[in-house]
Amino acid sequence: MLQPLREIEGGIKLSLNVAGRLGQLRKPPILESFLRQVYFTGVTAATGVVLRASGLGALIIAVTLDVLDADIDLAVKILLWVVFREIGPLAAAVVVILRTGTAISAEMAMMRVSGQTRALRYLAINLYDYLVVPRVAAVMLATMALTFYIQALAVLGALVLSPFIIDASFMELASRFFELFAPVDLYYSTIKSLLFGFAIAACCCWHGLNPPELSQNAVPKVITRAVTQSAMLVLTINAVFAYIVFGILFFGLVTAKV
Amino acid sequence: MTELALRYARFTGRHPIVLTVPRGSVTRAHLPNSQAKAHLVTAVLKARAAAGEELELFGTATAELNARGRERLRRRVGAVSPVVGLINNLNAWENISLPAAYHGSPPLERVAEIAQEVLQRFGAEPQAFLARLPDDLDRLERKIAAFVRLLVAAPELAVFDALDEGLSRQESAGLSRFETEYRSRQPAGTLLYVDTKET
Repeated sequence: MLQPLREIEGGIKLSLNVAGRLGQLRKPPILESFLRQVYFTGVTAATGVVLRASGLGALIIAVTLDVLDADIDLAVKILLWVVFREIGPLAAAVVVILRTGTAISAEMAMMRVSGQTRALRYLAINLYDYLVVPRVAAVMLATMALTFYIQALAVLGALVLSPFIIDASFMELASRFFELFAPVDLYYSTIKSLLFGFAIAACCCWHGLNPPELSQNAVPKVITRAVTQSAMLVLTINAVFAYIVFGILFFGLVTAKV
Repeated sequence: MTELALRYARFTGRHPIVLTVPRGSVTRAHLPNSQAKAHLVTAVLKARAAAGEELELFGTATAELNARGRERLRRRVGAVSPVVGLINNLNAWENISLPAAYHGSPPLERVAEIAQEVLQRFGAEPQAFLARLPDDLDRLERKIAAFVRLLVAAPELAVFDALDEGLSRQESAGLSRFETEYRSRQPAGTLLYVDTKET
C-alpha cells in the first residue's frame, strides 16, 4: 500500500521540480543533453516507423471497408477519428516507451547503482537539472514530433494506398478528409502527445532514480516497472483526455466538431 | 596556533579516529579499514558529519552550517576517489568539463588549457585521451582524468583516496606527479592522502 503512495508522491514532486527548473535548459551541458535526447527519441525512431505508419492507415481503411462494409465517407471518418486522433498518438507513445523509456530507466538505474549520481551530487550538479529536466523536455518534444510524423504518414499512406483497395480516387478521399478535419483534432493530438511524453519520461526517470535496491539486480526490475507504469499512465491519460475533450469540456462551452 | 584545513573525528566502530590536517600541508592518513576511509571521504565531500562523527573544514564546524554554508564549503574541497568516479556515458573531455560548464566557471577555454597541459605532462596525447569514454581508459588514465577535473575545480583541500590502488608498481611511481602538479597550481593548497591499513 505504501509503495504506490510513495510513487505518486515522488511523481508529483518530480513533475513540480521539472516545471520549476525548465530554465536550466539554457546551461550548455543541459542543452546538449536535451538535444541528444531529442535526437535519440525523435530522429532515430522516425526512420523505423515510416513503413509501419503508412501501412497502418491503409490497413485501417481496408479493414473498415471489408469488415464493416462501410462506404468511403465512413472509412475517411474512421481514418480521422481512429487513426489521427487515437492510434497516431498511441503508436508514438508505444514507440517512445519501448525505445526511450527503457533506455532512460536503465541508464538512470545504472548510474544510481554504480554511484554516478552520487558523483554528480559531489560535483554540486543538481540531478534534476542534469538528468531529469533535459530528458523530460526532450521526450515531450520528440513524442509530439513523432506523433505528427506518424499521423501524417498514416493518413498519407491511407490516401495513397486505398485507391488500390477500394473504388475511390486519392482526390476524393483527400477532399473528404479535409472537410471533416477540424483544428480541435490538431490541438487534441498536440496536447495529448505532450502529456504522453511527460508521463513516460517522468515515470521512467523516477523509477530509474529510485531503484528498489542498490545492486545490478535492480536494473531489470526498474525497467519492468517503468515500462508497465508508463503504459498504464498513457492509457489512463488517453481515456481521461478523450472523455474530457469529446465529452463535455468547460461545462459544455467547448465541444468537438464531430 | 596552526590553522587547520580539516579536523575529523569518528567515535563509532572499534577504532576511534581523530585526524587533523594543517592548512597548506601534505598529510597521509592510514585508516583502519575501507569503511572508515569511505566515511571520511564522504563526510569531507558532503561537508557534513554523520552520527558519531565531528567535522570541521577550514575552521568551521559543519554541524552548525545551513545548506548554503555547506555548499560554499563543498566548493573548497575536492577528491580523486572512487566515491567521485567518472560518468560512464560521457567521454573524458565531457567528464572534465562538466562541472565548469554547469557552474559557468572557469571558462571552457581555460579548462581545455589545463587539460592539455596536464595530459601532456603525463605523456598522454590530449585529443585522443579526451575523446575516449571511461570504459576505454585504464585505471591510471581514469585517475588522471579525475585529477584533471579536480585541478579545474581548484579546491583548497584535495583528498587523494587510495591513489595507488589497482596500479602496477611502475604506474604508482608516476603518482608523485599528482602532488607536484597540484602544488604548482595551488601553492597554498592542502593535500590529504588517505588509504587503509588493510592494503
